[in-house]
Amino acid sequence: MAEKVIVGMSGGVDSSVAALLLKENGYEIECLFMKNWDDDETCPAAADYKDALQVCNTLNLPLHSVNFSAQYQKLVFADFLKSYRSGKTPNPDVLCNKEIKFKVFLEYALELGANHIVTGHYARIEERESVFRLLKGKDITKDQSYFLYLLGQKELARSLFPLGNMKKKEVRHLARKAKLITHKKKDSTGICFIGERNFTQFLKKYLPPKPGDILTIEGNNVGTHEGLMYYTIGQRKGIGIGGGFGDKEAPWYVVKKNHKKNHLIIAQGHDHPSLYSTTLKAVNLHWIHSDSSNLPKTVTAKIRYRQDDQICKLNTEKQNSVIVHFEKPQFAVTPGQSIVFYDGEECLGGGVIDGKIT
Amino acid sequence: MLYFDHSASTPIHPAVLNLMQELELNHFGNPSSVHRFGQKSRLDIEIARKQMADAIGCLPYEIIFTGGGTEANNLVLWNLIHQQKRHVITSAIEHPSVLSVLKRLKEFGVTSTIIPVDRTCRVNPEDIQNAITENTGLISIMFANNEVGTVQPVKHIGEIAEKNGIPFHSDAVQILGKFPINILDQNINMMSFSAHKFYGPKGTGVLYLKKGTELKSLVIGGGQERNLRAGTENPSCIAGLGFASELANKNIEKRKTHLEKLAEQFKQEMADVYPEIIYNGHPEYSLPGVICATFPAVTSNILVIKLDLHGIAVSSGSACSSGTVNPSHVLRAMNISNDNNIRTLRISFGRDNTEEDVHLLTEKISEILKQNRNKR
Repeated sequence: MAEKVIVGMSGGVDSSVAALLLKENGYEIECLFMKNWDDDETCPAAADYKDALQVCNTLNLPLHSVNFSAQYQKLVFADFLKSYRSGKTPNPDVLCNKEIKFKVFLEYALELGANHIVTGHYARIEERESVFRLLKGKDITKDQSYFLYLLGQKELARSLFPLGNMKKKEVRHLARKAKLITHKKKDSTGICFIGERNFTQFLKKYLPPKPGDILTIEGNNVGTHEGLMYYTIGQRKGIGIGGGFGDKEAPWYVVKKNHKKNHLIIAQGHDHPSLYSTTLKAVNLHWIHSDSSNLPKTVTAKIRYRQDDQICKLNTEKQNSVIVHFEKPQFAVTPGQSIVFYDGEECLGGGVIDGKIT
Repeated sequence: MLYFDHSASTPIHPAVLNLMQELELNHFGNPSSVHRFGQKSRLDIEIARKQMADAIGCLPYEIIFTGGGTEANNLVLWNLIHQQKRHVITSAIEHPSVLSVLKRLKEFGVTSTIIPVDRTCRVNPEDIQNAITENTGLISIMFANNEVGTVQPVKHIGEIAEKNGIPFHSDAVQILGKFPINILDQNINMMSFSAHKFYGPKGTGVLYLKKGTELKSLVIGGGQERNLRAGTENPSCIAGLGFASELANKNIEKRKTHLEKLAEQFKQEMADVYPEIIYNGHPEYSLPGVICATFPAVTSNILVIKLDLHGIAVSSGSACSSGTVNPSHVLRAMNISNDNNIRTLRISFGRDNTEEDVHLLTEKISEILKQNRNKR
């Protein structure tokens, strides 16, 4: 009997093609549409569900749907708000993968009798000597291993990423050839539950404004901010202090948040030294298959998605935290964001940035 | 394929479909046109109006055709913004086409009191009496609930409404063909119906509007339906609705017995294979053939999916347009725990279901429950 797998269908082109590829490989497939966000007024998931339904109809695959909104609220969104409230910039998509897609959804699929779940992630899983390794996607411009660093052996053993060896262009080509309605659908951007909405407006619904002073790094009071949680380190637009203000024409950037005094600290020019750091502390470490004592001395890291790998050395501090020394200064180290470590094309794991040290 | 979700929608009656095809092909004139093409279409509509009026015991004049039950409910509720008295009394188990509209109407100064239900899903008419204020302009209580099947004490509520001079609206989309109704027996001013719940076409409904009750139109245009629902009528669908309403009331007692027998058989067979099953709703005041059952061992989502894979259709909770299911607000209002809420299934039998179908259903459910047990 063919192996049974459950494809997580988002209604996008990637999961559509993931289902297509598995079907061509003779698996017994059921598709599962997940709704993770309940909105009183509108139901944006409805449009995606209709796309998923049409794809499944084209591929002649059964489709089920399930609502994980309650779990998402508890396991992801509560943490997201908590992090913002403390002035950090969290990454809910990383947590969503860990808590929802590769936990709640995985368990649900197993309950439905599947051996594996399938998603449209651009990443690869390789089993060597009974150890599952997470590798970058072949399409390096689309690689999504950054968002998957919180997975462990159990999750990787139960997951298939059929797009890991493919380029996005090929994926769209296959979708077009198979006449899947999603073949031209735009890639989703931003955080899934916010979608195309204005981010700060969204945040204001949950976190009320708490205005304070904006100071330059030299200590001059130059204006008022609406609340530290609405700003991100390295942010340029939306501070309300235009370029040309001050000595130079250059734009202003957020460099620091002083939570005690509720001050937003800014500096002028992209090259301003206060925007750069060579050492940071990361906490809540997670390693995909080995403990930190087995790690190579020199690794590379990304401190945000879509960044080239940066050479660095790790000094384990305590069991769960690490000091990272970069070879080159890094722009805008942002507390709350994830730092993900690589050895070549292998994703080793990562942690959450606590703050810069120097 | 076995279909046990008739409270969501019913398959169209073949005779109704025949009539609609015939009309769609041959009677295409605009009912408002004066020539004979238009007259034919007009006639189709007026015949349907008479059929529907006879089915519920009212005057043809009191039948307003709408685009469905949701539209009929909206037509009634949005009229509150034209009224002086803007307080509504409704219940916690209403359809979203009542509760969500009231939420929106807050912006227009409409307030509402939401009456709770008891464990059997019934409202207590005394609660309604107590909720009446001098500003109360409408009482809107469902005739029978779509998820559980409990029939409300409509007559009693109607008496309270009349005594206090308040218009009474009832969302009655679940009852035609299952519950003999004569409007004259009830003090109801407005009632909503939907054709696809009684083997008619989708997208067509009725608002019964008692003579003397005034409303203003939501959809404004050419003045159709006594100026209450503008837009060229859909004669074939309306004729389908009319014919379906006539068929629904024919042999209603026999139909009721059939549905009750299927439900009884289901309960008997389940008692053998799964005695842990819990039935929700009212033992007496209930629509025939609607079962709302809690399976403590398994979430209803999983059960629905596994039955669907075998071509068997049942439902759980209240479906949303994203295809997903939320915990039911109706079960919550009945004070059923969240844990049991998501383990509750609705099975609604219909005219084409047979004893053999029911047997296949219980067999499949018990098979799934057994698999589930072995895995633990």
